[in-house]
Amino acid sequence: MNQGETDQTITTLDTKSAEQHQIVDQVHTSSYYPPNPAVVSWSTHGENHILRENGTLSNPSYLHDQRVEPSSRNVRDGMNVSSIASTSNSGVANVAQSYSSYATYPNTDPYGYNSSGYAGYYSGYQQQSNQYQPQSNQYQQQSNQYQQQSNQSYPQPVGAYPNTGAPYQPLSSFQNTGSYTGPASYSSTYYNPGDYQTSGSYTSGTYGAQTNLWHGGQYAEYNSNQYASYKPETNAAYSSTAAIGTSQYQQHYKQWSDYYNQSQTEVSCAPGTENLSVSSASNLSSVPSAISAYSASNSQLPAPYTLSWRPESSSSESTSLQTGIVSGSIHEGYWKQGTPALQDNYSNSQPPHVQKPLDANPTYGSFQNQQQSTFSHGSSTLYLVSPSSFQTISQPLDSRRVNKPIPTNPRIASNLALGVPKPDKDSTTASTDSKPAYVSVSMPKPNEKELSHDAADSVLKPGVFPNSLRGYVERAFARCKDDMQKAACQIKMKEVITRATAEGTLYTRDWDTEPLFPLPDANAVNKEGGQFLASISSSPKNKRSPSRRAKSRWEPIPEEKVDEKSTNLSYGTVKYGGWNKQFSAGKTENKENTFSTKFSFPEQKIQNNNATRLAKRQRLSNGLNAADGETSSDSDKEQSLTAYYSAAVALADSPEEKKRRENRSKRFEKGRGSRSDNNQLKAKKMGASNFYAKRASAVVVGKNFEEKGSRAVEDIDWDALTVKGTCQEIEKHYLRLTSAPDPATVRPEEVLEKALLMVQNSQKNYLYKCDQLKSIRQDLTVQHIRNELTVKVYETHARLAIEVGDLPEYNQCQSQLRTLYLEGIKGCHMEFAAYNLLCVLLHSSNNRDLLSAMSRLSAEAKKDEAVKHALSVRAAMTSGNYVMFFRLYKTAPNLNSYLMDLYAEKMRYAAIRCMSRSYRPTVPVSYIAQILGFANLLLTTEESDEKDVDGVEECVEWLKAHGGCLTSDNSGEMLLDTKVILSIVFLCQ
Amino acid sequence: MAAYMSMGEAHRRIAEYLNRFYDAVSSQDGKSLSRLFSISSDSSLQFLADALNTFQDANRIIRQSESSQYADIIVPVFRALQSYRLRNLVESYLAFEKAANAFVQEFRNWESAWALEALCVIAYEIRILAERADKELASIGKSPEKLKGAGSFLMKVFGVLAGKGPKRVGALYVTCQLFKIYFKLGTVHLCRSVIRSIETARIFDFEEFPARDKVTYMYYTGRLEVYNENFPAADHKLSYALTHCSPLKEANIRMILKYLIPVKLSIGILPWNSLLDKFNLTEYNNVVLALKRGDLRLLRHALEEHEDRFLRSGVYLVLEKLELQVYQRLIKKIYLIQKQKDPNKAHQIKLDVIVKALKWLEMDMDVDEVECIVSILIYKNLMKGYFAHKSKVVVLSKQDPFPRLNGKPVTS
Repeated sequence: MNQGETDQTITTLDTKSAEQHQIVDQVHTSSYYPPNPAVVSWSTHGENHILRENGTLSNPSYLHDQRVEPSSRNVRDGMNVSSIASTSNSGVANVAQSYSSYATYPNTDPYGYNSSGYAGYYSGYQQQSNQYQPQSNQYQQQSNQYQQQSNQSYPQPVGAYPNTGAPYQPLSSFQNTGSYTGPASYSSTYYNPGDYQTSGSYTSGTYGAQTNLWHGGQYAEYNSNQYASYKPETNAAYSSTAAIGTSQYQQHYKQWSDYYNQSQTEVSCAPGTENLSVSSASNLSSVPSAISAYSASNSQLPAPYTLSWRPESSSSESTSLQTGIVSGSIHEGYWKQGTPALQDNYSNSQPPHVQKPLDANPTYGSFQNQQQSTFSHGSSTLYLVSPSSFQTISQPLDSRRVNKPIPTNPRIASNLALGVPKPDKDSTTASTDSKPAYVSVSMPKPNEKELSHDAADSVLKPGVFPNSLRGYVERAFARCKDDMQKAACQIKMKEVITRATAEGTLYTRDWDTEPLFPLPDANAVNKEGGQFLASISSSPKNKRSPSRRAKSRWEPIPEEKVDEKSTNLSYGTVKYGGWNKQFSAGKTENKENTFSTKFSFPEQKIQNNNATRLAKRQRLSNGLNAADGETSSDSDKEQSLTAYYSAAVALADSPEEKKRRENRSKRFEKGRGSRSDNNQLKAKKMGASNFYAKRASAVVVGKNFEEKGSRAVEDIDWDALTVKGTCQEIEKHYLRLTSAPDPATVRPEEVLEKALLMVQNSQKNYLYKCDQLKSIRQDLTVQHIRNELTVKVYETHARLAIEVGDLPEYNQCQSQLRTLYLEGIKGCHMEFAAYNLLCVLLHSSNNRDLLSAMSRLSAEAKKDEAVKHALSVRAAMTSGNYVMFFRLYKTAPNLNSYLMDLYAEKMRYAAIRCMSRSYRPTVPVSYIAQILGFANLLLTTEESDEKDVDGVEECVEWLKAHGGCLTSDNSGEMLLDTKVILSIVFLCQ
Repeated sequence: MAAYMSMGEAHRRIAEYLNRFYDAVSSQDGKSLSRLFSISSDSSLQFLADALNTFQDANRIIRQSESSQYADIIVPVFRALQSYRLRNLVESYLAFEKAANAFVQEFRNWESAWALEALCVIAYEIRILAERADKELASIGKSPEKLKGAGSFLMKVFGVLAGKGPKRVGALYVTCQLFKIYFKLGTVHLCRSVIRSIETARIFDFEEFPARDKVTYMYYTGRLEVYNENFPAADHKLSYALTHCSPLKEANIRMILKYLIPVKLSIGILPWNSLLDKFNLTEYNNVVLALKRGDLRLLRHALEEHEDRFLRSGVYLVLEKLELQVYQRLIKKIYLIQKQKDPNKAHQIKLDVIVKALKWLEMDMDVDEVECIVSILIYKNLMKGYFAHKSKVVVLSKQDPFPRLNGKPVTS
């Protein structure tokens, strides 16, 4: 069973990798195709998958083929296995592994989602198909799965049907593992490979092999995936495989149990199937529990797991580079993988159904009934709707929303997920829609960016929560003194929230007055999830370097570099840790738990035998594979893992990659706000994982809101996410932010005040001051400081910009100041109203702008000296009254004259043109110098003779430069010959 | 209003609407079809809205009726009606936009232009609803954006109509609705693309459009020319609008005159006082009087008095430019008086005299300023002659020293 699960996970990973290695997959598919008779039905699935996967057309066919093959599966499986083995041998593994691991990550999230939703869905469907195979036409996939299952059952005589079911479930478990891996993506992937290998070795007769084949077929990318998995497997799984290899049946059983477990977790029915599953189910019920389950799995395999992990992680990092290279493709692959994962989920869910069929069918039926109506139609619309609901469900917070209205949401979600694949068939667009939800999860995982997105997705969930609840959560976290406490607190919080959700009081409760729960004992939590968390967090920490951390904070936007990918992996793990908390809290697991209890009985009955066997074997294998936990036979672990996965998936449920990308770009548009918010979030909550989660959540919220429309955006309480700077440096160079700000480099308000004073008193040049002021402005923006200091900074900068004629900078400040003044913050409003008026006047010939600027002036403003002056300047300019203009120029208050400077030359030229036409025969230069402001003072007084002379000289030069013909009369008075200049001025027109 | 409406009555009304819809479409009766869309103006639809609010499951009736194939249109129309009735204008707008989109889809498929009238009503309604929805949004502190959305929808409709075939005559109506939106939003620069296609596309023959659309179009393009201070073009367009506007539509005539009068003034043509009185354009009375008298003070007071109004309508700058004509009139008066005294020296006007005249008008201007004004007057060809700086004397041409504008704008 474990193997099967692992295989599934691997396959999912593989599918991702397969996407990358489509060529290989295609080859396989081609070979597969001919043999498979049921290809058609499958093909439909494959098509769906293909659509989802975007690029992996071959894969779908593959998948179909494999699925169709079931009857001949044994042989084919053997074939596949061999092929797989060969591929694994080929050594592509390294890259493939890395890919697969990546892929698994993303996949896992989607998978988890899918698996949960799908499982439910499928379960319903499958059950139907099982019961009504003829009807299953619409659900060819299901039927295919069925067939596969049957095939599997064929090879394995033991539990034939149940076994078959089990293998299918393994698929689901795989998905779960995928999700699992998501958190510890590398490890999971590694594990998966191990499973694969085992399966490969077993393939000769084991179900696991079939399942592997299956997966491979579904994913077409089998080879690559398997390969990838192979290598990892070799690391840890090898031993397990060896053990498993000996007893294929056991493995199958294990798979079964795993499947059951997984299916249970996914469907919530699975939990009970295995003994361990019960505990896991409980874990599932609460997000924290999910974590605990994780930890449990970790604890079970602790030493080996961590060991394997670390080595793996290191290897993974190396591989990560590769992945990084392929990252672009990986992303797609992830997506694609995600879709494959969905497929897997399908298959998985089906198996559970098969297993459960008798017992679970009724429940499933009900589920199916709910969802089937929509799904059976497969109508795109339904689809579209389903994704949204799906997302909500998958996301903890979202799930809460959904939960309220629909208690069975988890199932629905699963159904939706299942339905999604179908819609894909119906329309590619539908598929894309459905994908997005998944993709969001998967995408983030593969890439760091995606990770951030995932985080964002997780945030989305928070977004769903009422603001008061958010406040409540923040208060709770505020009490935490360290990361441990925070982690414990998060778990507790999840419990509280899930309880509230279950009770339907999430939205009705007054969170503002809700008493905070007592601070949980961090140690206790640690016991449960500590290992898991520790492993996760520790690995990331180890891997991380401070700089990387900073990057990670910024991840949402910037991280594209290959180098960072390795770090990304670690980040991913960290984030996952955070996610786990979040996810566990909000996810549908609770619901699933209830389901699981229902289902668990039948499943347990069937599985019990298998489960025990599997458990033993799995434990062995787990010890080896420990990292995968999922693959490990322990139902508890598996359940917990599945729960975790589902949670993760739910978190990851984020819509489509496209949406993400759009969101990304939108984020830029929306500006630093969101980034800063993210930063702020991080800053507030010190725990690294917390930071990530919060940031992610913030991002997610943003995304959700963006998706939901601008209205929602307004509802985001960004202020709650404000960064609080800690930098004490007064001087700071301006550097345009490309990612979320780091509180350590952001100056708090009091430091900024000093910085402003420093700039104001500085003797350095404008460039220096501009740089300093911009960094001050940035810090203010990032910290959401909008007060008189902000106004002062902008005013200072605007004045400096006016003085040196830096209009672009001035315009920036002016527009900021306008909104600041509108908010009622005091400042030199009038002064800047005058500047604004002059600017509009001087720098645009647009009468409409001028009119609107004038009509905006209040009666009070019109009495202001500066504004009055500006209005007079406008009048002088529109009428061409140069005398008035230069008089106003000399009496300009504030910095008005600097702005008028920009127009003075034009005005002088116009004046000369005017005078040259109207004055005859000559005009004294001294008069022109006086009128056109060449002298600094009015020349009516004799005291100003010297200046007058200076002014005249300047004027003479200016006139000469403009083609003026100067003569002098008897008294030595310089005169401008207007006739001559007239011809020149008008020639130049 | 109808406090209570029985289910049967509600059902009957809904069914009647559906029948009317079906009949209108099947008989290609654009007029009756258009009536079914006038949510905001047809009071009979308010009763239907009541019926819809009483009878919740209208969709079933739609499905069962002959109009079921138009459910895409009717369902959102019903929703828009209901929301409108409940004063939920944003909802109403959103629903109506959906209906409008569906209708445009249908409209595309109809070869003939019979439904043009209905489309026009929809274009009108969507603008009205968007305006009201924006008001509602603004009142609750949200950013009003529906009108913008209506603008882009109408651009789409314009694209549907702007082609060969009988539907093209509807393009101008949509254009006018777009103008109204853009002027309201203050994004008049967006008008340019529509204007270009109307004025340059060969498929359009301007005279072919309905008169009401032509008048509206000319009014708005004329206003645009006022902004651009392109007075001859503005005069042409606004005069076209005035002469083609139905004499019964006094409000429309007044709107046109509001812009046409400043334009005419700036090219030297003064209106009869009776015209101003008839259309209650009294804010121009003093402006005209100031021009006649050369009374600068009166002009400035008139501008100050109605500053807000002139700024809002965008004619403030146009009226302000009349100052030069007032100066011209004033100096002409001085010239005429001097001519009466001593015809031989009349063409020489001392600057001091002008300064003194302005002082009587309580305009405190010194010699330099007046010199500048005179210089500008000569430069702008409002006076013929030259200025002798040394002797501070304006020497006027003996022939036609104060040329009339006669419909030509002041040279800039």
